[in-house]
Amino acid sequence: MKKLAAFAALVAAGLIGLGWAAGVDKAALAKKQDSLTAEYGLAKEAKFYFVFDVLGRKIELRVRGMVLKTWPIEAMRFWGQPDFSGSVEMVKKTTLKSPERIVIKPGETEAPIVKPAAAGAASTSADYDLETLELRDMPKRFGLDLDNGLHVTVTAKTGNSMGFGARMKEAWRWYVRMPLMNLFGPKKDKGLSELELIIADEKDAQSIYWHLFDGIKGIIL
Amino acid sequence: MMIKRLLMAAAALAYLGFLAVLGASYFIGLKQASTWPATGSTQAISDKDVPKVDKNVQQLEKRMSAFQPKGLYIVIDTAENRLTLKNGDQVVRTAVVSCGSGVVLEEPGGKKRSWVFDTPRGEFSVKSKITNPYWVKPDWAFIEEGEMIPKTMEDRIEAGTLGDYALGFGQGFFIHGTLYTRLLGRNVTHGCVRVGDEDLKYLFKAVPIGAKIYIY
Repeated sequence: MKKLAAFAALVAAGLIGLGWAAGVDKAALAKKQDSLTAEYGLAKEAKFYFVFDVLGRKIELRVRGMVLKTWPIEAMRFWGQPDFSGSVEMVKKTTLKSPERIVIKPGETEAPIVKPAAAGAASTSADYDLETLELRDMPKRFGLDLDNGLHVTVTAKTGNSMGFGARMKEAWRWYVRMPLMNLFGPKKDKGLSELELIIADEKDAQSIYWHLFDGIKGIIL
Repeated sequence: MMIKRLLMAAAALAYLGFLAVLGASYFIGLKQASTWPATGSTQAISDKDVPKVDKNVQQLEKRMSAFQPKGLYIVIDTAENRLTLKNGDQVVRTAVVSCGSGVVLEEPGGKKRSWVFDTPRGEFSVKSKITNPYWVKPDWAFIEEGEMIPKTMEDRIEAGTLGDYALGFGQGFFIHGTLYTRLLGRNVTHGCVRVGDEDLKYLFKAVPIGAKIYIY
């Protein structure tokens, strides 16, 4: 009797296990394990890291597994077949005009100017024109080169007016040069990978530039 | 005439060839770009491995949560000039602050030292709590004003500039008060974090020594 009960329990456990396994999205579980393993390696250190959750349409800045900042992605497009495994490192940020620090040399240059941009008693701190490096000075369109060969272009949807020439150049790059490079380019053996992210709020795009510094590590989902 | 026709035919052929190549590469590219790839290294797992993988995922999540600070901690966004006091996921208080200006100060003359007025980014902890703090002015404060660097410590001490309280987080950086409250929300400091009087009082009373500070 005991043997029968044990056998029945074993069969039941096996069936439950099988049913449970069948109900689990194995690909999602495997992916979760991979991303958690990669993130665990980053979260062990007291350093900031980014998470490009492309399918979740968001970029996050994290430390110790905590989300510090989230930037929503309005739209995206990409070329190539990027291969992401483990963590990646941002090698450098590229932009047409990098924000420059103000250099004060006492005796040669004047101290930072603090002057109200508009007259009136109700002026707020935002009205003051300060010679400092602030979020508003950051670019609204820039590139991020990752060490796995992926080049990410971040563009603000608004406040980033491009001229006709720039639009044509961009169209040529995306619709002619990219496909040709994809087929014949020097990165052919490695695989061309170009990701373009459109950020709805220009302030968010500038904030990404501010917070993602050269050498920061991250993971791509 | 014949040569002209031949040249035109060659040009047309070259153009059609270019279009064909472009079309083919664009088609291949489009096929690749139609879906965002799943994580490259993800290996298929078998049914019998599912419980093992699931357990591993749970363990990783548990280990990750162990990294997070216990009790109150401070988060500072240097771009937005916002300070948030948190306890776990709960926001306890938010404050408008002033962080580093990003300005570079270069010393004229022989020594040619330079300072970058950035608020340091990273994980820190509250190392000291001071009531009625005095500012011991460093060399750059005098250089910036075009004054001689004093030889005695007494000449460096300035009272009242840092507000009623200060929380030190190492390397000479403090979260402290300010006389320039109209500039809260802007990047104007030499690296310290300036906070308004009420918020500073609350922070000083609530945050214990050892509490984590995350500045990004």
